[in-house]
Order: sequence, then structure tokens, then C-alpha cells
Amino acid sequence: MAQAKILIGVMGVDQHENGAVAVMRFLKEAQMDVSYAGLFNTSETLLEKAMDEDVDVIGISCHSWEYIHYLPDLMERLKAAGRQVPVVVGGSVLTARDRDELNKLGVAGVFPAGSQPDDIIDAIRDLAAERVRERTEAALAG
Amino acid sequence: MTKDAKTRSGIPLKAFYEAEGGESGDLGAPGTFPYTRGRYARTRSGGSWIQRELSGEGSPAQSNELMRYLLDLGQSGVDLIGDAPTMSMMDPDHPLSLPTAGTQGVSACCRQDYLELLDGIDIEETSVSSSIPAVFSIAGLIHAARHANAAPEKLRGSTIQVPLYQEDCSYRIHLPVNFRSRLSADCVEYCAKVLPRFHVFLEDTYYFSESGLNGVEEMALGFVEIRHLMRLLISRGIDVDTFAPRIAILLNCSMDFFEEIAKIRATRRLFARMMRDEFGAKDPRSQSVVITSHTSGLAMTAQQPVNNIVRGSLQSLSLVLAGVQAIEISAFDEALRTPSRESHLVSLRTQQIIDLESGVTKVADPLGGSYFIEALTDDIEKRIWDMVLDIESKGDIEDLVDQGYFKEIFHGVMERQSQNVASGEEQVVGVNVHQMPEEEDTMLRDLTDSKFPPCKDHIERIKAYKEGRDQSRLQAGLQPILEASKTGSGNLLALTVDAFEAGATAGEVSGTFRQGCGGAYDPFGQVEAVI
Repeated sequence: MAQAKILIGVMGVDQHENGAVAVMRFLKEAQMDVSYAGLFNTSETLLEKAMDEDVDVIGISCHSWEYIHYLPDLMERLKAAGRQVPVVVGGSVLTARDRDELNKLGVAGVFPAGSQPDDIIDAIRDLAAERVRERTEAALAG
Repeated sequence: MTKDAKTRSGIPLKAFYEAEGGESGDLGAPGTFPYTRGRYARTRSGGSWIQRELSGEGSPAQSNELMRYLLDLGQSGVDLIGDAPTMSMMDPDHPLSLPTAGTQGVSACCRQDYLELLDGIDIEETSVSSSIPAVFSIAGLIHAARHANAAPEKLRGSTIQVPLYQEDCSYRIHLPVNFRSRLSADCVEYCAKVLPRFHVFLEDTYYFSESGLNGVEEMALGFVEIRHLMRLLISRGIDVDTFAPRIAILLNCSMDFFEEIAKIRATRRLFARMMRDEFGAKDPRSQSVVITSHTSGLAMTAQQPVNNIVRGSLQSLSLVLAGVQAIEISAFDEALRTPSRESHLVSLRTQQIIDLESGVTKVADPLGGSYFIEALTDDIEKRIWDMVLDIESKGDIEDLVDQGYFKEIFHGVMERQSQNVASGEEQVVGVNVHQMPEEEDTMLRDLTDSKFPPCKDHIERIKAYKEGRDQSRLQAGLQPILEASKTGSGNLLALTVDAFEAGATAGEVSGTFRQGCGGAYDPFGQVEAVI
């Protein structure tokens, strides 16, 4: 079975990495193929990395309010590029109220503080499931 | 006691402690070498330590208003934090700064900003501490003093220094480690002459321990950094007693009540012996280190934020019992937002209640002689020093930085921290024990849910300020910085004070530093160099 591929990044000049490191640790333990876009991403650079690596899901870790600026732009760029890559966002600054706002934007998963690792893993696995199945079938056929 | 109990740093604990000798016989009185029991023999009732809140938001004028509000509440010193661009030596008009300017701290980048920030604050009487990069916060303070006709020799306060670890955790400035060390040493050398009462080298172990380092690791890395700077300054031929009294330590205070007290006592003793025996300091002020602390923001939880008020109370009580010289309690809403005024108020009142009502301040080192505290102090002291010597045995410290040795430590502990909480090994109320359904977790939510936008008006002001400057004067101000960065001679702080006068901004000065080091003016390739 192929692995789910996810790109994790931090936006702008938010430089708190604890959350990103923690999430990457348990996604790897859950046998996912995780790559780290690191710090200082804009919606443009993050999208570029996601396309280069052909990931199934984009994950953004945020510990500042910069996501309010970057998320709508990222969703627009994805739409313009005609790519259906699901985006998930996690971080302690996200509140229940923010989750509703982000869902309206089309963000596929929002994980405020207190989100359980298993819930995050399951959500990402579901979002990646179709592409993982396609890759697995292609590998078997090949 | 639970089976196999340990401290947060993993020090095994006994069921109870009894007299065992050890260092306790060598304790001395508070106010005497090796200062285990404190810097002073007596406490003072009412304000025996500086009580302050780490604060800053929006434009300099908005932050000035916030500081005045806190001083009116009885805050006895100011403690400034910059927004992410300011902390990263970037101007607010940089494309990456625009979405965040002013949202997590004050946006301050030039002389005018610092004049507005400190406007009307009696800086001869009020200590001004800052977590903004030292070279700029000191240059700003000097200009504010000139503007207000304040005597530099009266100014008190501090600026944080993290030369070794800056690029490996939290705010990056994209300068090489040897340059960062020089910048710190230049600040110390300059201030020893110009700001004799100012703590120019505040070793900030808080800054890098928020990745999840335990108390032993935190202080070991802190001592490695202090020792590195000591050697650099001594190699410049400067007498140790002219600058050592200006070194202080800003440490983290986690939730392990007794270990934090032991950590601080052990730190004072290690510092005293190191200064006297290894670096030859003779002045008692060089040997007795000033310690200040921020309570751990990492210990603050987004779940049930009201619990953070209790955490802050416990942490600050342990700091008072350990005898520190200044305290900042992290705001209870810190996990979720830039602190609200209400949370600052609660933090200040917490300190005031401990100070004025609890009675714990009447005697110096009230826990001195406790079998447990003394044993733990001895144990943690040994562990810190073993780790310092172990790190130093691995090679040149700046080489270790370049090889990513410390970065690996920081990333490793981030993983360890998340694993400890996820596995339940570290119990955190509201997070992995005694949780509450989201819909019931509503107390104080109205405060924690509110946000404010970037300071767009201030960004526009800075753009206009840049347009309106005398460009030839600006270039003349930056040229010596470029030369000094290339050649290694000249004091970078003195030149930055002059460059501010010529209208330069922090982003322009730091870009010129980078150019001089052979790097890119703007690490993100979006802004052109001035010269």
C-alpha cells in the first residue's frame, strides 16, 4: 500500500516550530510520507513546493495570526491552478470560532489546541485516501 | 509518593530527605559568596523585585499607551517585546512583515519609533528591559535618553542576548554565529562605558528553552553561552570586573515548583564560583548574578485558559522563594493571542498579592537548609556543570553551532515534549487529564477569542519616513557599518547609534551587516540594498 504524502509548512515570519515538529513526528509514526517546507513560506512558495512534491495534503502550522492573510490567498491560488489539494491547518491560536471561518474558505481540516493526534491522523488519511488508492493500484498494475 | 518519582529534569527523588552533609555546610549566608542563598542578605518589604509584564502591541504610540497603563497599575519596570519582524531585524514595510506587523508585539525599527515608544516614561527612574534585538533596543534607548535629557549613567534595564542559538530556535536574523557573538561583545563593551548601570548582557535561557528543554539543559546551554562571551571579551583585553556585573540571566520557570527553586540557587552558586575561580572576577557584583524570570509560556494551555492564572501564581511563588530580582508572569491568554489588558492586570495583581499579602517576602531564602532543597540544589548543580563540560569537550562552540549540534538538541526536545504530553507521562490539566468538552470550556473565552489586525497606518508612516529621508546622509550612516562588518574593526553598536541618527532603520542596518558578512542584504530576496 502506498503512503499518504503530506507537506507541512509554517507561514510568513511566524517562527514557532514546536507544533509543526510535534505533528510531523506522529504523522511519520503513522507511516505517512512527510516533508517539511520549513519556515518563511508564502502561499506562493508553499503551493510551489506542494506541486513539486505532488503531495496529497498540505498542512499548515500556525502560532500567529498570519494565516488570516495567507489562507484565503492559498485557497485562491489552488483554485486558479485547478488543483484539488486539500489543505489542513493546526495551531494553538485557532479557536472554535476560527474553525468555522476557515471551513467556509474551503479548508478541509482545522485543528485547534487540544486536537488529538489520532483525529489529525485519521482526517489526513481520509483526505489522502483516494490518491493513495490510485498509487497503490498503479503500483500493482505496474 | 508515586513510585520512581522524578523532577522535570529527570532527577530521581526519594520518599523524604534527611541530613546528609553535602554542600549544605558550605552554604554561607544570603548575600555572601557563593550566593546560593541569594544576592542580598535582606529582603525589602513591598517591591523587593521588579514586577513587570512583557508587553508590546501595534505601533510604538499604541505600545507606549499600554506601558503607561501597566505603570499605572503598579508595574515597577517596563519589559518590551517586538513583533515577529522587529524580533527578526526586519522593517514593517517588508513584504513578509505586512500581514503581521504589530500583532505579536510592538513594531519598532527606527529612532523616531523609540522616541514615541518611550515618550513620557521616566527612564532615569524606571528600568527598561527589552527582548528586542539588543543592538537596536540599546540604540533606541540611547536616542530616547538624549531626547529626554536623561543621564545615561542613571539608566537601568536590560536587553536579551542569544548569540549562539538565535538561528536554531525562534526568531532568525540570518547572520553568522561569529558575527552574532561579535555584536553581543560590542554591545557589552560599549555599554560598560556608556550605560554603567544597564544589564547589557541578559543571558536569555527563556528564549531557547521554550522548545521544551528541561531545567538542567536550559542552564547548561545558558552557561555555555555566557562562557563563550566571557572568553571573547577577555580576549579583547578587557578587565573582567568592568563588564561582569552587567551580565544577568533571564531564565524560564516551568511548573516543577521545587526544581525551579533549586535550579536558581544552583545557578547562583555555579556563576559565583565560575566568575571568581575561572575568570578571576574580584568584585562581588561580578560574582553574584542578577536573575530575572519569565514564567513559561509553554506551560500555558489553550484549554481552560483560567487554569493558567493558577499556573502563573505557582510559578511566580517559586521564583519569589528562590529570591529573583525581577518577574514577568506569562499572560493567561498567551497560548491563544497577544495578551489582553485583562490578562496583564491579573499577572501584575498576582505578583502584588504574593509580595504584599502572603508574607513570604519577609525573610531571605526561607527554604535554605531544607534537606530536600539543599540536596536538589547540589544534584542539579552537578548535572548542569557536567553537561557544560561535556558540550565544551566536543569542540569549538561556534563550530558546533555551524554543524547544527544545538539545532538538533532543540528539535529533539520539541519531539520529546510532544511525546511526553501525548503519552500522558507529563500530566497537564485540561490537556491530557481532566479535559472538558469544547462546548463547556467557555470561561474567559470572550477575551481569548478576540484578535486585532496588523498596524497598517504605522506601516504607511514608515514608508513615508523612508521616502522623506536625506538619502546621502542615510548612505553615509550605513557606509561605516558596511566597512566594520567586513573588516571586523569598529564597534557595531556605536555605529548603529549613529546610523539611527542618520535615519537608518533596523532592517537597513541588519541588511548592511549581512552584506558586510558576504551574505544577501535581504534573506528573502525581496528588498534591495541601500548601498
